[in-house]
Amino acid sequence: MIAPRRYRRVLVGLALLFAGSVLLAVALGAVWISPWSTLRLFAWKLRLTSYPAGVPRSTEVILFQLRLPRVALAAVVGVALASAGMLFQGLFRNPLADPAIIGVSSGAALGAVIVIVFFGAGTLAAFGVPIAAFAGALVTAFLVYRLARIGPAVHVATLLLAGIAVAALISSLMSLVMSFSGQQIRDIYAWLLGGLVGQGWRSVAVVTPLVAIGVAAAALSAHDLNLMSLGEERAAQLGVEVDRFKRRSIAIGALLAASAVSVAGVIGFVGLMTPHLLRLLVGSDHRRLLPAVLLGGPTLLVLADLVARTALAPQELPVGVVTALIGGPFFLFLLRREGRTAGARA
Amino acid sequence: MPGPEEPALVIDGVTSGYGGEPVVRGVSLSVRPGEVVGLVGPNGSGKTTLVRVVSRALRPRSGRVLVMGRDPYGMTARDSARLIAVVPQDLQPAFSYTVLEFVLMGRSPYLSRFGGGDPNDWARAREAMAATSVQHLADRPIEELSGGERRRAILAQALAQEAPLLLLDEPTTHLDLRHTVDVLSIVRGLAERRGVAVLAILHDLNLAAATCDRLVALHRGCVVAEGPPETVVTADLLRNIWGIEAAVETNDITGLPSVQVGPPRAAPLPIGRRAHLIGGAGRGAPLMRRLTEQGFEVSAGVLHATDTDAVVAERLNLLRVSVPPFSEIDPESAAECRALIREADLIVVCDAPYGPGNLVNLELAIEAARAGTRTILLEQVSIEERDFTGGRATALWSELRVLARVAPSYEDVAIFVG
Repeated sequence: MIAPRRYRRVLVGLALLFAGSVLLAVALGAVWISPWSTLRLFAWKLRLTSYPAGVPRSTEVILFQLRLPRVALAAVVGVALASAGMLFQGLFRNPLADPAIIGVSSGAALGAVIVIVFFGAGTLAAFGVPIAAFAGALVTAFLVYRLARIGPAVHVATLLLAGIAVAALISSLMSLVMSFSGQQIRDIYAWLLGGLVGQGWRSVAVVTPLVAIGVAAAALSAHDLNLMSLGEERAAQLGVEVDRFKRRSIAIGALLAASAVSVAGVIGFVGLMTPHLLRLLVGSDHRRLLPAVLLGGPTLLVLADLVARTALAPQELPVGVVTALIGGPFFLFLLRREGRTAGARA
Repeated sequence: MPGPEEPALVIDGVTSGYGGEPVVRGVSLSVRPGEVVGLVGPNGSGKTTLVRVVSRALRPRSGRVLVMGRDPYGMTARDSARLIAVVPQDLQPAFSYTVLEFVLMGRSPYLSRFGGGDPNDWARAREAMAATSVQHLADRPIEELSGGERRRAILAQALAQEAPLLLLDEPTTHLDLRHTVDVLSIVRGLAERRGVAVLAILHDLNLAAATCDRLVALHRGCVVAEGPPETVVTADLLRNIWGIEAAVETNDITGLPSVQVGPPRAAPLPIGRRAHLIGGAGRGAPLMRRLTEQGFEVSAGVLHATDTDAVVAERLNLLRVSVPPFSEIDPESAAECRALIREADLIVVCDAPYGPGNLVNLELAIEAARAGTRTILLEQVSIEERDFTGGRATALWSELRVLARVAPSYEDVAIFVG
């Protein structure tokens, strides 16, 4: 356990890193907006100062109507994915769990795609997509959990296999559904790869309350997650109502993953990497890990989206591709290490 | 709260299992505050299952469990964690925790949902760590500890629960002698100083006898012996439930029973010798296994079906002749048995009770002894006490004594045979 003072320092460092990544993300693009202009425009928006001299009105529009909503959405989605990852890792007692790897994101995506294809992008879809995504995520999470569990633990191998099997099933169902879609197929495909493109404050407004509920529920589960990492029977001996806790945690994780998917498609590895790296900094106590994850997750996704937007500008990369390019090697490294320690234990 | 005289744990006629045949059948026992009770028995005898029933992990099918007068299945997991602390064999957390974090988890049943633990919880965790001598390891990651250190950290986690009932499932497996004694001393200290009631599964009978106030022996899910160690750890118990021959001596200094197991020997190959055993009322059973182990092909008879000897002979798959229970031996069976005896190189006649029903057995023995077959008589109990024929058995027995060698105990039979 790290000393409280060091823990506070880590949190302050993570907060500064997040603020820095936001300033950087809104600054870069076709038009350069200096952090100084951004800060002055914030002050004006908060009615602290008058409109900053020398800053064109177009800059204000780009900042508040284009870049900031996108960054905000990336941040909220980052929070959702990272906390879902932490929850699934704790619940499955497995540091390789991630909503995308275990197929929960695909399940959510299938739900969302069904609604988009059959009901179009009207008002029904605005409410229908998150609900269908949640249902898809929930079903997949329970399915994978049941398939992967052998005895007291969910093993790496069975978890990955169950995830792959379920994801393959979902992907064929998805192809089936998309074969009915006709004109929309390109949009759906782009969305599936993970996109934060062209969404305004409305998406942020839809998804933020859902994520907030999920995070609050995750915070209430943090201590029991610690006990779960000792094994289900031990957790029960220390006072956890294990079955109820598992059902609730899977539902929370599915809600968080589905919220992310319903606005941003399938974005992998954020949920894997964030808790993993932060555990090295603040330890495994989930009560301390969660605040760090809430800062680290958005930082990671805001930066990944920045790369997606600017690396090949004016061409945009899907953000899911960027996170996979960073996360894939990271995952393989962990898998190797996990395999070695498992081998050493056996 | 029950007073000090009332038991902290009552197990009352508990039957339980995992579907199919029950693993624990009608077990009753109780543990008083301050008492250390050891649960002993061979592998698969239901010890761990019984502990799981008590620790709220496996509901009894029938019977009930009361901890401090309350049913653990009728309360929340949290309330039960304040009453029952379990020390599992081992724990491997999925993530890295320091020893202090790990021990603090034992305070969970007292924490509020948001609480990181108040100073009292920290003090209790420190106390528990001091009791098990792991306080110097507080900041070390649990996965870096040695086996003995980790086991003590697990014990500290359970102590931090401050429960009046402590359940231990083989707390010393894989520990060296020093750490074993350390762990058991801590457990004794808890019982004596804090009045904790302890129920512990222990494999090593000598340690169990030295540690526990009382022992309960389980065999095939049933209690087969219960009481102070010296009344439970006996050569008979070792033979009957572990199936081993061992001497139990009383240690001169401690007065405790001490089990001496003979050095393991390679089982002798069958040497083509035949022995015939005349038993009854269970007197022959111990010899059946022993003679087989000594390399004899053993036959038995005439037996009365359902008699212990008949059951054991059947289990050991011996050549045998038997007649229905409580019936007299008919001429055909006698002839069949005579054929078996004729092929035998050795006859052992046990000190069974003899009545009209099995008197023929003695006549068969005399016949064979007269024909020159080596004959041994087991005579732990004199014939007068087991003659139910009004003197006819005594007469035959006396005749046999002249023809045979008399062994005053099972040990002597084994020696004479060898």
